[in-house]
Amino acid sequence: MWAVSLILGNMDIVPQLVVNSVIAGSLYALIAMSFNLVFGATRFFNLSHGVLGAVAAYTVFYVGITLKLPLVVAIIGGVVVGAAVGYGLERLIYRPLRKRGASSLVLLVASLGAFTAIEAVIAILFTSQFRTLSTLIGPTGSLNLGGGIMTYVQVAMFSSAVGVLILLWLLLSRTSFGRAVRAVSDDEEVAKIVGIDTNKIIGLIFIVGSAIAALAGIFAGIDTGIEPRMGFILLLKGVIAAIIGGMGSVYGGFLGAFILGFAENFGIWHISGEWKDAIAFVILLIFLLFRPQGILGKKRA
Amino acid sequence: MNALQTNELVKKFGGVTAVNGLSITVPTGKITSVIGPNGSGKTTLTNVLTGICQIDGGVVVVAGGKERARIKPYQVFGLGLTRTFQNVRVFEQVSVLDNVLISLTKRSVLGSLFEKNKEEHLKKAEEVLTRVGLWEKKDAYASELSYGQRKLLEIARALATGADTVLFDEPYAGLFPEMVKLVSGIMRELREQGKTIVLIEHDMALIRELSDHVIVMDAGKLLAEGKPEEVLSNKAVIEAYLGV
Amino acid sequence: MEYLVHLAVVFAIYAILAVSLQLIVGFTGLISLAHAAFYGVGAYSVALILENTGFGFFPALVLGILMSAIAAFLIGIVLSKFRDDYYALGSLGFTVIVFSIFLNWQELTRGPLGIPGINRPELFGFVFSENIVYLGLALVLLGLCYVFSTFVTKSSFGRALQAIREDEVALSVFGYHTSWFKLAVFVMGAGMAAIAGGLFASYITFIDPSSFGVPESVFMLSVIILGGLGSLRGAVIGALVLVLLPEALRFVGFTPDIAAQMRQVIYGLMLVFLMLYRPQGLAGTYRL
Repeated sequence: MWAVSLILGNMDIVPQLVVNSVIAGSLYALIAMSFNLVFGATRFFNLSHGVLGAVAAYTVFYVGITLKLPLVVAIIGGVVVGAAVGYGLERLIYRPLRKRGASSLVLLVASLGAFTAIEAVIAILFTSQFRTLSTLIGPTGSLNLGGGIMTYVQVAMFSSAVGVLILLWLLLSRTSFGRAVRAVSDDEEVAKIVGIDTNKIIGLIFIVGSAIAALAGIFAGIDTGIEPRMGFILLLKGVIAAIIGGMGSVYGGFLGAFILGFAENFGIWHISGEWKDAIAFVILLIFLLFRPQGILGKKRA
Repeated sequence: MNALQTNELVKKFGGVTAVNGLSITVPTGKITSVIGPNGSGKTTLTNVLTGICQIDGGVVVVAGGKERARIKPYQVFGLGLTRTFQNVRVFEQVSVLDNVLISLTKRSVLGSLFEKNKEEHLKKAEEVLTRVGLWEKKDAYASELSYGQRKLLEIARALATGADTVLFDEPYAGLFPEMVKLVSGIMRELREQGKTIVLIEHDMALIRELSDHVIVMDAGKLLAEGKPEEVLSNKAVIEAYLGV
Repeated sequence: MEYLVHLAVVFAIYAILAVSLQLIVGFTGLISLAHAAFYGVGAYSVALILENTGFGFFPALVLGILMSAIAAFLIGIVLSKFRDDYYALGSLGFTVIVFSIFLNWQELTRGPLGIPGINRPELFGFVFSENIVYLGLALVLLGLCYVFSTFVTKSSFGRALQAIREDEVALSVFGYHTSWFKLAVFVMGAGMAAIAGGLFASYITFIDPSSFGVPESVFMLSVIILGGLGSLRGAVIGALVLVLLPEALRFVGFTPDIAAQMRQVIYGLMLVFLMLYRPQGLAGTYRL
């Protein structure tokens, strides 16, 4: 009898696990989709993608708490600054490197350097102390989904993830910009020949992608808190999600993010939560070994 | 016994069948040219024979040995084969001398740490590099050489292996006339030594001049084979080249 | 003076790390971000053996090298299936996993609390408690690693490594089982990183996981990219510059916390500038 109730007892937390998985998946989805958007066009692992989230979150902190401006202003400020920094990196570093035919490894190393420097600057300006942005929101209500609790902020996170997916889908499939993006992602040289201003398109891709990453950082900041190294783990989870779902595929990023979210949260059901990161990386390695192109990706020639 | 033989060899890339049921024989000790219009599968054939891409169907027989449905790249040398690449793949940021020594030195992890025959290898390298006229440049990085010199370096690297069968993939493209003569001379010397040469080329004059045997491919299949004169005046062959 | 000795010991430790990483990255072309993991395995092995057994420093070091080599063998088998950027990513993953183990396997490693009270080495009754003597030990070990690495790079094995860096597939056609070579150099590098780890543990006498994570791997990569890829001398030069650099910052008057972050800013900017303007670093023979 006690065995049955033990199992049933454990089952009580399943709805919360599901909710946690959805929350994690939403956050990862924002990073993964935007990462894949940029990767599709530029074909290198942009390790500076995650730190843009940190930049945005700290901007919100500065504008909302230090300057005490309204929340909306802070959030817009965060997104704008995040997008600007991301675009700045592209113009100042990645484009010149691409122009001289640098290999994707060179770009990876450069992005590693950019991320390291930016993260340290944040630490200098704001110290490494963990802070919270939730004072900007005040206490919020939450939904009870069959036993799983989801705060309104987390609901907003999920809605944003879905919203961004739909937005990107519309953008990529219904607009001429989207057509140009797909052309550049397919083959940059051919796109140039056809007359597309690939630099401008890539620049716009960076702005859109960086803005989405910024949003992810802001959400992470409001939901959990901010600290200078937050961009790093966000990025890594986003990259893992992208690899699971398919490198270069925006939809793959969405899919992979939720798979990762569920795998992580259910994976730690019976072991300590501190192993979450290790689980994520074991999944990464499994995919890299057996299906590097991910679920929706195409095999590289 | 033939140097090389394929039986219904197949290689596909996605939707394209580059090699489509190819059955050819390459006679030992002769220069066999493989010709055909662009896209006929010549380079794919070479890549399959040297393990660069994997066989999808059919078998390969090397020097009368067993039938192979899989050839891994590191087995190629052991099978007595070597090659040059159409898109020149020398070791760029490595010296010319080292490029050639790679073909001569021990291949095992432990053996290469404790190399014994250094002088012997050096002498052989000098021999081969002098033959292609690159000995003076032995300490330069391969990346510093001109295009033609890099093609010659590839040939030197292949020669240094001492392999019985050498596959040359468009070795003449982009070479000056003196270099062309040099390369043709090397091929004749190899033949005199009893080695087998497979030559992929487009230049018909060179083909006529050098080949003992010609194989014509078209759309991944064998179109014709035989003596140069016969094959090159074959109507079907001429049509394949002139047609779309 | 004491301070200079301290700097020299730190330099020696990082020089060993740089030289060993150079074999993997600069000579073989494998962008490994896993080196901090092996540094950590060496450090923790030595610390735990010294604390829990009667073994002295030198046997502990040998065991540490062995542990690291085994870990590298297993990790290397998995990694050698990846190419280029995926290799970097996979190696990053391993560093995170190993770091997680250091942090979370608290029964073994005491997690974030770290392992204090690690003894200085003892040889035939002589204890290396004076820093200047420790420096001597560190320099001897650095010398051994350097000589070994020179032997490796000048051999036919070293030539094969460079050919792998340039065109692995082309090399294999010439009869080379390239995955064995990559595995071998990875294990060699990891073994030497463990030496650095053991030296570090016994010198500082306290270790905790924070010294063995991704930022440390990034730092080591910066060292050899600055010094120049493909050159052992460059690795040592890079280590010298990047160990002395933060000291220069102290004189500018930053507080210790900010100085640590300023260092990161400089490392990061340096990587960017090197990629943009001087990929061959200070003394390198290979451009990325």
